[in-house]
Amino acid sequence: MTELLQLRGISKRFGPVVACDAVDLTVREGEVHGLLGENGAGKSTLMNVLLGLTQRDAGTIIHRGKTVHVGGPRNAIGLGFGMVHQQLSLVEPLTVWENVILGDRGRVDRAKACADVEAVAARYGLPVDPLSRVDRLSAGERQRVELIKCLRRDPSVLVLDEPTSLLTEAESAELFAVLRRVVRAERRAVILISHRLAEITAATDRVTVLRRGRVVHTGRTAETTPPELARWMVGREVAVEAEAAALGVLVAPAQAAATTTAAPVLRVRDLRVLVGGTPRLDGLSLDVAPGEILGLYGVEGNGQDVLGDVLAGLVTPDGGTVEVGGQPIDLTRPGALHLAGVGVVPEDRRTALVLDMTVAENLAMKAPMSAFPNRRRMRAAAGRLVEEYGIAVPSLDAPARALSGGNQQRLVLARELSAAPRVLVAAQPTQGLDVGAIGDVHRRFQRVADQGVGVLLISTALEEVLALASRVAVISSGRIAGILPAEEATGERLGLLVGGA
Amino acid sequence: MIARLSLRSAAVGAALALSAALVAATGGSPAAALRALYQGSLADPTAWTATLLYVAPLLLVAAGACVSARSGMFNIGQEGQVLIGALAGAWVALRLAVGGPVLVVCVLVCAALAGGAWAGLSALMYRWRGVDVVVSTLLMTFVAQQVVAFAVTTPWLLQESRVGDAAVSAQSNRLPAGALLGSFGEYPGLAVNCGLVLAVVAAVLVAVALDRTRWGFRLTMLGRNEIAARHAGVRVARLGGAALAVSGGLAGLAGAVLLTSPVGANRLQPGMSVGVGWDGLLVALVARNRPLLALPVALLFGALRAGGGFLAATGVPPYLVDVVKALLVLAFVVVGRARDAGER
Amino acid sequence: MLESVDTILSSGVRLTAPLAFAACGEYVAERAGTMNISVEAMMLSAAYGSVATASATGSATTGLLAGVLVGMVVGWVHGNLSHRLALNTFVVGLVLNALALGLTSYLITVSTLDSQRPSQASILLLLGIAPLTWWLVERSRWGLELRASGEDPRSAAVTGIRVDARRRQALLWCGALAGLGGAYLAVGEVGSFNQNMTAGRGYLVIAAVIFGAWRLGRTLLGCAVFGLADALRLALPALGVTLNSQVLVAAPYLLALLAMLSFRTSSRAPRALRQG
Repeated sequence: MTELLQLRGISKRFGPVVACDAVDLTVREGEVHGLLGENGAGKSTLMNVLLGLTQRDAGTIIHRGKTVHVGGPRNAIGLGFGMVHQQLSLVEPLTVWENVILGDRGRVDRAKACADVEAVAARYGLPVDPLSRVDRLSAGERQRVELIKCLRRDPSVLVLDEPTSLLTEAESAELFAVLRRVVRAERRAVILISHRLAEITAATDRVTVLRRGRVVHTGRTAETTPPELARWMVGREVAVEAEAAALGVLVAPAQAAATTTAAPVLRVRDLRVLVGGTPRLDGLSLDVAPGEILGLYGVEGNGQDVLGDVLAGLVTPDGGTVEVGGQPIDLTRPGALHLAGVGVVPEDRRTALVLDMTVAENLAMKAPMSAFPNRRRMRAAAGRLVEEYGIAVPSLDAPARALSGGNQQRLVLARELSAAPRVLVAAQPTQGLDVGAIGDVHRRFQRVADQGVGVLLISTALEEVLALASRVAVISSGRIAGILPAEEATGERLGLLVGGA
Repeated sequence: MIARLSLRSAAVGAALALSAALVAATGGSPAAALRALYQGSLADPTAWTATLLYVAPLLLVAAGACVSARSGMFNIGQEGQVLIGALAGAWVALRLAVGGPVLVVCVLVCAALAGGAWAGLSALMYRWRGVDVVVSTLLMTFVAQQVVAFAVTTPWLLQESRVGDAAVSAQSNRLPAGALLGSFGEYPGLAVNCGLVLAVVAAVLVAVALDRTRWGFRLTMLGRNEIAARHAGVRVARLGGAALAVSGGLAGLAGAVLLTSPVGANRLQPGMSVGVGWDGLLVALVARNRPLLALPVALLFGALRAGGGFLAATGVPPYLVDVVKALLVLAFVVVGRARDAGER
Repeated sequence: MLESVDTILSSGVRLTAPLAFAACGEYVAERAGTMNISVEAMMLSAAYGSVATASATGSATTGLLAGVLVGMVVGWVHGNLSHRLALNTFVVGLVLNALALGLTSYLITVSTLDSQRPSQASILLLLGIAPLTWWLVERSRWGLELRASGEDPRSAAVTGIRVDARRRQALLWCGALAGLGGAYLAVGEVGSFNQNMTAGRGYLVIAAVIFGAWRLGRTLLGCAVFGLADALRLALPALGVTLNSQVLVAAPYLLALLAMLSFRTSSRAPRALRQG
């Protein structure tokens, strides 16, 4: 088999974060190539480089033996690179056929577009009514439309990002059967991004595993097993300990595990949240004991963001209860969770900070405030927190926008912890931070847990979870797939729980 | 800081230069026009009186606009809220059988309540059905104009009473003298209306409320980042609605001041708002929603209005001041945007 | 009686035409995601421009064309301020409206313009423009990209559509047609320019598009209803009916507000408009 596409030495950094570090990827004609990795491993960045959505810092792209220039999305489309993103890019009030031809050039020919849709649909076994409006379709049908939109352009390399997350088992089996057939017969290639190990083993010919922006394995799928893949994907325990030591973080001490017998300070029962008719949380229950760090690990899009929103008071659940310290909380009252002692470090810092307000104001935002707050006192309190938490600020009166990501995160943390919470909920607390800031945040968590606060750490990075948590809960499709004590949580076991294998 | 100032003065300069070019191109003398503007607005106590007469309602409207704009509930219907305030004020003044200072207070309070309620309707529509606040406050302005027109052409409402055989116009009776705002102190040649004092006090109060109170703190949070405000437990619907009602209330108060100023017609007339609602909104835009900055800006706009009356003698149409105002606002918003972009 | 019905109908048609022209433009701007309130500025400045040009050249047709151009200039300015400098579209609209009112009032005072003999022939243009607008929005590639920009700018951008460019182009189209509406009012209907002669017709057009639930047919129907209401109001005194006309004047705005309160209408609003 000849090489259809080669990515050589692709590197890309975003500020202090290295997303891709000299990544090589070779895709052969007629193969389905699996691309496996945790969130943040660099898969999306790599594919965005290929699709011209992100400009690389270094590296070359070779297509059918020729070095090609990918300056933008139109270049990539011209070269026959197509991608179906996990977040669909369909314009909902438009019809299927209109969406499919959006981005084309030239005259709009409805009859031809409909015929095209039907032809592609028939060829790949993706039935859909071209005249229907997209917002009247089910999630699976929308996924099909996105696929048809891409396949209609006859891409030589088709990238599918978690394509089956919205499809039923039967639908995905059908899809992969078709893809394999077409790819072989028509000398194309598919790059399949997935975290489902079963899917990777069943559907791909070769697989490349990325971790922390580097290729850790590449080879024929048939020669590996799901446990091996899981280990590569999340890294070996040895590596975790080495990294934890490098960051100056101690692996969660065994004594923390002992405290889990205490009455839970946070008790979540049967949470259900429906978004647009589909359940995002589906009867999720968990307990956090005082003084423990419970890691909630899972791949993005399995409901952890919704759980974070519920615990931040932004989303009112459709069912279920939350108790803090044994007291049930009325989730319809704004600020009720905060008053009950739940501190929240949300996934997106921009939802916790008002970037156009000053450092001092951001720190005072959730503190009890008199009707006529004393500015001097507010600044004095802010000054103490800034010092205590080592937040580097140009001035207390500088807008929060002027701070680096790490310092913004410290700012949120300082505010939430200064309220002396009983529970701290932190979602992806170290995303986008540099190593120094990560270590700092981790030490903080450890310290508050030692002081008896129950910490719920929601993270898609296993290193982080394993470095901090005494117990690890795995979330999958809006519910807890399993809970393991930290010492039993090997990469392999977690990878299998996450991968649904 | 210096760069900001020079950028601003460059913007003002450009706006003035364009206006001067317009005057010159249409055969007028920019210098004479400028002289006339100064004569009519700031040259002597009489001119100052004319200027300050406009400053009061402009400043009230602008102070209110600062509140709504800060909260993110952008109200652009002040012109209508001014009219509704004046309508309520006139009704109280003509129908309420009390006298003296009590009546004046009743007029002002009822005008503010009516303006606030009118703006509050938009807040309700937003909360109930998500009707865009900007659009609804705009459309409500035209409804308000017709409500006032209806009131002053309907005998059993506010139309003026027939005296003998004289034809009646579309206006209310003259307000009783007891309902009018008095002068504030005695100055040679200068008549400082109580309305001005009211407006300055209101602007200062709004400034304090926005920058020095918990309410203003939460309002600013709401306007800058609604999600973060909800994170912090702010009752978004209540606070946003209150902001809109306050801004409408201040516009309504401006209507009462227009109605009861000793120099005005002291009657409810359909055209009596004379664009004060629109101009006050522009004042707030130039002042970047800071009530204290709105003070000098309102003075400038008031001076332009007063000076406009003196332009006629130079052969330059009084509409020049409208052009100058619009160009100034345009210059300021563009410069403000450029500055924001530079800071990011 | 029949005669007066006839009069009301014909004056209703003539009062509808400027609204209908401008509505064809505003409809396009809103479908692309701009709640454009400078349509008043476009109509008013075009009305002045058309009369000035017609007076200078003696040709009503040239006047109409000049009106279209002036409207497009306003649309170009609005587009660049809103969709290049990213200024708030309502702020831009307010300022442009104030500027157009001030400038035209100023200019008409310093200049003496010849009156033209009004000719309503250009009303026939509507027969071409309305279907053309419909075709452009619903059937052309441009319109498809425009609607995508108005409904879901993020997805549109991901698909490779230059959202801001489409919105600026939509505003140019809006300027051209609002300009034609203003020019028709001045050159076609009245034959001269008076200070503030559009008198808020631009806001009526906005009400019509909302009343029309962002569908062209219903929008034009709205224009016709508003035009007829206006004609009826003007005819009332002659008919000897003493009815308070304010209800008729306020009706369009009330209808638009009521339409927005109905879920069926508001759900049809281009989604980009809902964030202002």
